Amino acid sequence: MSAKQSGTPKQLDDPQIWVDQYGDSLYRFALARVKDASVAEDLVQETFLAALGALKNFKGRSTTRTWLIAILKHKIVDYIRKKIREQDTDKLESMSDGIDVNFTDRGAWKLRPSKWARNPMKLYEQKEFMDVLYHCLAELPDRQAEAFMLREIDGLSTEEVCKELNISATNSWVMLYRARMLLRGCLQNNWLDAEH
Amino acid sequence: MSHWMFNCKEVSQRVSESMDRTLPFHHRMMIKIHLMMCKYCARFKQQLLILRDACRLENLHGEECDHTLTLPQALRDRIKQSLSEPIAEHNHSS
Repeated sequence: MSAKQSGTPKQLDDPQIWVDQYGDSLYRFALARVKDASVAEDLVQETFLAALGALKNFKGRSTTRTWLIAILKHKIVDYIRKKIREQDTDKLESMSDGIDVNFTDRGAWKLRPSKWARNPMKLYEQKEFMDVLYHCLAELPDRQAEAFMLREIDGLSTEEVCKELNISATNSWVMLYRARMLLRGCLQNNWLDAEH
Repeated sequence: MSHWMFNCKEVSQRVSESMDRTLPFHHRMMIKIHLMMCKYCARFKQQLLILRDACRLENLHGEECDHTLTLPQALRDRIKQSLSEPIAEHNHSS
């Protein structure tokens, strides 16, 4: 067992310690995404309470911090989704329109993937990229967004995603495919300079 | 395209699927051949991989903003208070 993992049970014994140990870190993370101090504060509070409720499901595979940040990320997407729904209900429906618009009847690309002229792997580009990604995630149908987050952001295995969402493996592949297609399209439209 | 070859839509599905499970050998070969011939599918695959890497990179750098920012003390106390309440209830019930 790693040193980090071996330190986890002690921290978990007393959730009160979480606030001092991870409060600032979670607050900064939330603020970087939502850009509003009072919203960030609410999200941190919700995160700690959700973590307490989910404590028995935490298997100690990651550090406590990683686990708390993962919960916070879901809260951030929930918050953005709610905000978008209040502002524009049509947008959500258009995002769920499906994959078929990308392809011709014969399965060739109709909306061809453009070359990405920016690189999200560069740190200064990455912040903006993640801002857009969170907004794109919030625009996905809920279950698809959840599947994507569990798999790609939380880093769960496909089996774990299936268990978490109570779906079959085949279902998870379809769901993840749809999520990736929609996200890729959303990122291309909202962040990446298109170059054909 | 011939029936024994994947079209772009099928390749895009299987490229995504290959990120979640190991595909059968013949599917991997068919995808490989298709990707050599189709720059859009090759680009699609590369972008899905970038998406994955960027998401995982965020776990390392996500909170990097102003490090002088701290959770307000009043809220800190309030959260601690609310965290202690469910614990007491939980311990009582168990």
